[in-house]
Amino acid sequence: MALPGAPTHGGSARRHEQWLKSRARAVRGTLSLTAFSGLLGGLLLIVQCWLVARVIDAVIIDGAGLEQVWRWLWPLLGVFGLRAIVGMVSDRLAFEAASRIKRTLRERVMASIAARGPRWMERQRSGEIANALGTAVEGVHDYVAAYLPQKQLAALIPLAILVVLFPHDWVSGLILLITAPILPLFMIIVGRGAEALSQKQWRRLALLGAHVFDAIEGLTTLKQFGASKREAEAVARLSEDYRSATMTVLRVAFLSSLVLEFFATLGVAMVAVYIGFRLYYGQLDFLPGLFALLLAPEFYRPLRDMGANYHARMAAIGAVGALMPVLESSDREADPATDTADGQTAGRPSGQPLPSTPVERIRFDRVSFRHDLRDGGNAGVHEVELSLARGECVALAGPSGAGKTTLGKLLLGFLDPAAGRIWVDEAPLDTLDGAAWHARLGWMPQRATLFAGSVRDNLTLGAPDATPADIDTALTAADALDIVQKLPDGLDTWLGDGGSGLSGGQIQRLALARSLVAKPEVLVLDEPTAALDAETATRVLDGLQTIRAQVATLLITHDIACARRADRVLFVDRGRIVEQGSPAELAAAGGDFARFVALASGEIA
Amino acid sequence: MTILRRLLALFRPYRRWVIGGIALGGVVILANVALLALSGWFIAGMALAGLGVQSISYFAPAALIRGLAILRTGARYGERLVTHEATLRVLAELRVWFYERLEPLGPAALDTWRGGDLLSRIRADIDSLDNFYLRILAPVINALLCSLVIVAGLAFYDGRVAVLDLVALLLAGAIIPLLALRLAAAAGHGLADTRAALDAAATDTTRGLGELFVLGAFERQRARVLELGERLVAAQRRQMWVGAIGRALSGLVGNLAMWGALVLTIPLVAAGDMPGPQLAMLALWVLASFEAVAPLPVAFAAFGETIAAARRLFEIADARPAVTAPLPAQVKTPERFDIALEGVSMRYQLIGDWALENVSLRVAEGEAVGLVGPSGAGKSTLLALIQRFREFQSGEISIGGVDLREIDDATLRQTISVIAQRTHLFNASIRDNLLLAKPDASDDELLEALRLAGLGDELDDFPEGLDTLVGEVGTRLSGGQARRVAIARAFLRDARILLLDEPTEGLDADSEARVLEALGKLMQGKTTLLVSHRPRALAFVGRVVRVGA
Repeated sequence: MALPGAPTHGGSARRHEQWLKSRARAVRGTLSLTAFSGLLGGLLLIVQCWLVARVIDAVIIDGAGLEQVWRWLWPLLGVFGLRAIVGMVSDRLAFEAASRIKRTLRERVMASIAARGPRWMERQRSGEIANALGTAVEGVHDYVAAYLPQKQLAALIPLAILVVLFPHDWVSGLILLITAPILPLFMIIVGRGAEALSQKQWRRLALLGAHVFDAIEGLTTLKQFGASKREAEAVARLSEDYRSATMTVLRVAFLSSLVLEFFATLGVAMVAVYIGFRLYYGQLDFLPGLFALLLAPEFYRPLRDMGANYHARMAAIGAVGALMPVLESSDREADPATDTADGQTAGRPSGQPLPSTPVERIRFDRVSFRHDLRDGGNAGVHEVELSLARGECVALAGPSGAGKTTLGKLLLGFLDPAAGRIWVDEAPLDTLDGAAWHARLGWMPQRATLFAGSVRDNLTLGAPDATPADIDTALTAADALDIVQKLPDGLDTWLGDGGSGLSGGQIQRLALARSLVAKPEVLVLDEPTAALDAETATRVLDGLQTIRAQVATLLITHDIACARRADRVLFVDRGRIVEQGSPAELAAAGGDFARFVALASGEIA
Repeated sequence: MTILRRLLALFRPYRRWVIGGIALGGVVILANVALLALSGWFIAGMALAGLGVQSISYFAPAALIRGLAILRTGARYGERLVTHEATLRVLAELRVWFYERLEPLGPAALDTWRGGDLLSRIRADIDSLDNFYLRILAPVINALLCSLVIVAGLAFYDGRVAVLDLVALLLAGAIIPLLALRLAAAAGHGLADTRAALDAAATDTTRGLGELFVLGAFERQRARVLELGERLVAAQRRQMWVGAIGRALSGLVGNLAMWGALVLTIPLVAAGDMPGPQLAMLALWVLASFEAVAPLPVAFAAFGETIAAARRLFEIADARPAVTAPLPAQVKTPERFDIALEGVSMRYQLIGDWALENVSLRVAEGEAVGLVGPSGAGKSTLLALIQRFREFQSGEISIGGVDLREIDDATLRQTISVIAQRTHLFNASIRDNLLLAKPDASDDELLEALRLAGLGDELDDFPEGLDTLVGEVGTRLSGGQARRVAIARAFLRDARILLLDEPTEGLDADSEARVLEALGKLMQGKTTLLVSHRPRALAFVGRVVRVGA
């Protein structure tokens, strides 16, 4: 249940709304048209009230029959129709304004991702950015389509009514005029009261409200401690606390609607009573009196409707909270050189091109990198020396979290060394053009992503011009030919998002094939056999032998069988290379690698 | 319908609040109709009296107008308080009800959810049930009752106008919104799919960003995301038109009803069969009556979603537990604490691959055994079986010679302590998280457990000591600290069997050393099963066995 006026503390809500308003300025024109058509609807409403008053006045006061009032009744039908049309036009205009803002925001988020590349994603939670692109962008729709236009109407329509009403009946106009500014004023005062609840209180409310979900998420732990039945009482007690705490807040928060209701309703009543007495004493004609009475509820209606759009505002403020960090950091940090307007999507500022000859040797020169410890448990890598030549396969082995994947990402250019340098032949990696470097690379991450599309789309993602023979070769090398053959439509089989419908091992093998289709010169394979059974793993490793001569392969693994297939093994522990040599040498040396091999050979009794 | 009935049954204990809120809501609507109708009658009557055509006793109506205004205002405030009170009371009931039904299902139920992020769907479902009364039940009942009163009141003055208003209320309140809802579903055809595709493409883009860059395919993905955005807007635009036309038509119907009422009654007034003031009264009455049905479109739109949410929750609530508790007569309590598995086979579905096939394992009392093997080999399944969270199809598991199926739940929980990579810390204080293991522990005991777990010094750095909040809302503990809070819980528990599921995975070397130091103390004299790949952790066990291929 949404609390009215909930988390608006700390001025961040105001900042978020300002941000959104400045974005809405881009569709100023459409929004002005929306307001104009809304105002037109308001004017038509005034005409309608006047016609109705005219009819009733003629019948009651002048004793007119139906025949005499048709001349007002027929135009009345026209006004009804016009109002219906104007209302639809307003909705359409508001919708288009919101759609344009959403389109711009989506483009900006994508541009932001493009400008920053995977290196940025290393430091962000990818889920938050995905959320910004999907849910958060949609979250601003109602704010632009409903809240902003309504806000303008809440000022324009009452004003129009006053302008029309004053010449007819200035007393009623005065009553409305006096109550009108009181309404927003009181709402602000009462709203302040609700917002004055401290951040701590809101946090407590949020905590109480979410307790049951915490208990559900931690059910396993509760069960393990035999506390799951006991927890039902806590759920009951905290839900009860939540109720009483929320009601305390609501009693105050609802005062704002009480005030609004009080003045709006009493305003109508006062107008009615004053008109009545002035009519009685002959100080006013019936026609302007009735006209004023019909207008009075309409005067307050736009203000009342504002409350209905309150949720739109809260939702938008929440959405902006997700969007702002993604977009603002790019506003501030995006390098003009990587400006995405020209469609360039390099992960790093464009640098030197690579020589046209294949990459012969890669060298890590005392490379260090330190992760932000708050993000995860891994400490990074320290002064790593590593060399990798064309035609060679080097395995990085060691326990998980030792820094193997970090070394791979440094080579891919997703991370920059804190100290030391990576050399690609004679050029430092950090001076090379990112896109050009990526074009030489093949990479299969630990958990590969297949994208929505056909199997063929996925395989040719890196090489749109690949021939069927290229695809076949890559599939064979990755031992993935049988997967494709078993699919209902072969290469044209449509894959759901994330490769749904395929097993983890199948996804890995297809991703491996995908990285091979583009004929990379440097291949980084992160746990290629983790999701495979022993037999399949062997076949995949055999398949990779066929392309080995043309490629420099960096094999990251904690699978001993896999590491044994490499020319050299570097054993990594706690971010340092502690042992290196051929697999046979290391197994004989009796060090960490040998212990690792021994651990792997124990069988269940 | 049975779903609706079951849902309503949850409201029964709070029917007074529920009915009270609806009654006050009715007062709000009716007071407003009465206020406007009476005002129209009053000023027309006063005008005629002012012209000397008729006489009027103005004190009562003038007072009544003011009284109705105050009544409406007060009832509105009361209605909002009472309906929210009812909502919150039902919310508490609903949460306890759901939790109590989920609890016996145990972790097995949660495992199936995690796959598709169903936990967040459950959350959305419960939220949408929370709003059932406020958004659906109260507005619909009020629309029905108030419409009847309004129409009956009109019939007292003119039957034809009453029928006209009834038809118009039906059109504007029910027929047009329901039709619009059907059309909107058709017009928004593919909207949900497009929305899901867009969200999935967004997830793919961020998750697979590295691959997109290395493959040079980011531009194509960007085009796809933006194209999906355009398709979403197109579907939303079709839906917007249906909604806009629906609103326009409903408004038009209201105006036409008033127009019709005028056309019907003007001849009566002209012929002298109806007093003039009644014309103004009836016109305003009809016009104001549509407030009663105004919230219905929103209620109808929410109805389908709420029923679907209720159906999903009832389905979970009706599920059968993965394991059955032993009959009281069968219950035995183990005296020793060795563990034996004999030819155990288990699979998650009735058919399909075995997660564990014919596994045998003996762990002597006080012995520490390491389990290694590739991911997916069944190590975690094995631990789940020993904890009796899952049923197995064949073989036998026993603790101290007693068949696991004959040990009652409370005894088993007392016997086994678990420290896992993903041990849940609750959004509560460190104290509350520790008391879970031993509800009656004194502060000294808690501090001692923290000290044994190697957290003694760090506790001084926490802003509020034992009262420091952990988890999302409070101070973020580091991964190693969270793990050691879990170890402190195990110290408090002092169970004889220890199951350690990747206790140091994901920790840096420094944290690992501190966690292992604490674990070493904890393991003394306990029967321990340790699942890990870390050589330093496995150094703590006497024997390592390999699970799976």
